[in-house]
Amino acid sequence: MGKLLRVAIQRTVNAIITIFGIIVLNYLLVRLMPGNPALSITPRDPRYGDLINYNFRLFGLDRSPGEQFLIYLQRTITLDWGVSYRWNAPVLDILLRDLSWTLLLVGVSTIFTIVIGMVVGSYAAWKRGKPFDFMSTGLSIFLYGMPIFWLGLMLQAAFSPSFRPFSWWPTLPNKFYYDDRLGAWIWDWAHVSSTMLHLILPALTLSLGSLAGISLVMRSSLMDVMTEDFVLTARAKGLTERAVLRRHIFPNGLPPMVSLIALDLAFIIGGAYQVEVIFSYQGIGYRTIAAINDLDYPLLQFIIVIGGAAVVIANLISDFILLKLDPRIRIA
Amino acid sequence: MGTADVVLPASRVVPPWRASLTVAARRLEDVWAQIRRSRTAMVGLGILVFFALMATFAPLLAPYGPMERTPNCNALGQLCPPSNEHPLGTSFNNEDVVSQVIWGSQVSLFVGVVSAAVASVVGTAVGLISGFAGGWIDEVMMRFNDIVLSVPWLVLMIVIAGIVGIIDLWGIIAVIGLTGWSLTARVIRAQVLSVKERMFVERARMVGSSNWHILWRHIFPNAFPLIFANTILTVAISIISEAVLAFLRLSPPSVISWGRVINDAIQGGALINNNAGWLIAPGLCIVFLVFGFYLYGYALDEILNPRLRRR
Repeated sequence: MGKLLRVAIQRTVNAIITIFGIIVLNYLLVRLMPGNPALSITPRDPRYGDLINYNFRLFGLDRSPGEQFLIYLQRTITLDWGVSYRWNAPVLDILLRDLSWTLLLVGVSTIFTIVIGMVVGSYAAWKRGKPFDFMSTGLSIFLYGMPIFWLGLMLQAAFSPSFRPFSWWPTLPNKFYYDDRLGAWIWDWAHVSSTMLHLILPALTLSLGSLAGISLVMRSSLMDVMTEDFVLTARAKGLTERAVLRRHIFPNGLPPMVSLIALDLAFIIGGAYQVEVIFSYQGIGYRTIAAINDLDYPLLQFIIVIGGAAVVIANLISDFILLKLDPRIRIA
Repeated sequence: MGTADVVLPASRVVPPWRASLTVAARRLEDVWAQIRRSRTAMVGLGILVFFALMATFAPLLAPYGPMERTPNCNALGQLCPPSNEHPLGTSFNNEDVVSQVIWGSQVSLFVGVVSAAVASVVGTAVGLISGFAGGWIDEVMMRFNDIVLSVPWLVLMIVIAGIVGIIDLWGIIAVIGLTGWSLTARVIRAQVLSVKERMFVERARMVGSSNWHILWRHIFPNAFPLIFANTILTVAISIISEAVLAFLRLSPPSVISWGRVINDAIQGGALINNNAGWLIAPGLCIVFLVFGFYLYGYALDEILNPRLRRR
């Protein structure tokens, strides 16, 4: 048990170091980008010359880089996230609103992806070499290679009013997260149903794009286990196929999936950025691309830190689950 | 000449470099035979050959240059609809879209292969050194690797593109190479860790081989098949990355690539103008090229990875 605790502490320390590294790297990357934030939010007119200088000082950009870094570090650690240059609103407010929409999109499609991907992957492994395996693996690799932005564009086109091959073919909304004529968000059925309808295409795009990774690894990881001798033994002693699957194959095939799903989160977030741009879905990704164009340092810094920290923490959680699931790690 | 010392004829004395070359050639023949037997690998290879031919013979295949202005088919400022002359219509400056798609294969293949090579060399170096050295070097390198892997890759690419400044293809290659090495490093490191424990490494150390010698002559050759298969998969990822960057208009203005043609199609209202092919053709090219690399890479992985082969 002492050993287990030591491993857990070591992993946690590593995660903290990694998050600190992200904070530092993030500062360097964002500040190295060419351009002047004060200039990019000020109208190009000589009359505003003083405003540029005023903003420049207001943002603290006239201080030395070292001083700016220390201020940034102190603010990050004390969670004082500052005010967005572009939107003149607290970063936290903007991020919380965007994050809720991104979490809805990523959450729905991740659950869908994991469930469908694992079912398809395990069925393909079970029917190894049969037509289903061949078809699903081929389709998975095909989808795996599809740029998510193009997949989104194709789905948009397929369900747009200009393409209706049959009279019953549905058209689905492909912009924003709910009908913007409904006004600001309130909890009523019109908003909720509109949101659900608007979520179908983006979530489908994101799921199809990341489904393949899960199902392919599920298949190969189960197949790895199926060739082990203990599965042969289990069959030989007369267990039913179901029992072999439930008692011997799944418990040994699942641990790799846990760490894969955590790692995949980084790629799903990356995919979500593309989906949000394509569908004008105004979540974190949409905001990030805008913030990069505006050189909105406070917004950009915390978006990157939050994205990175989320992945690190997901990996840490998966490590803990693995410690619990996989006896081999506990002993070694 | 006494009977005791037999002198081999000079032609029989094989210098060590030629011996290892012969072994490598025989190994390659063996692998090639397995590739020929694998249907997946052959389909993938077929797709790759198709696109390689397309890229090589683009000057002959494409009726126009990628940015060549063709004669107007209607008043300036209007896009030509699909016709016999231009099967996929024309783009903003009356450029023929079919020609753009054909020329685009050169860009995708070049950027994909070169940036994957950059990413692989960096990733392999990091993986080899950190796996072999262990200790604090390993710790530092893996923490850095974790950091790069954790930051959302699209944001990382866009920000680095801003820093590097994309004025030509080398800018794109630098961006993709600098962001794409971390997964490779992880895979190679795991392989090095397992090779390091094998008997022959211990024996080599016993007879007094230097670290450099062990790394270069014992560990690297054993990790090489994995590196090779991994590089091919990295090419696929690099091609997608290039397409995403070009779609976001983060590509050199003088280069027409598939991602950029898709962006043009959106801006030109391809669907509204009944020219869906403008949007579909470049996308299908990306999908099939990447599909080819994935198929070939996976098949190769199965052939070269001895642990999978026993099945």
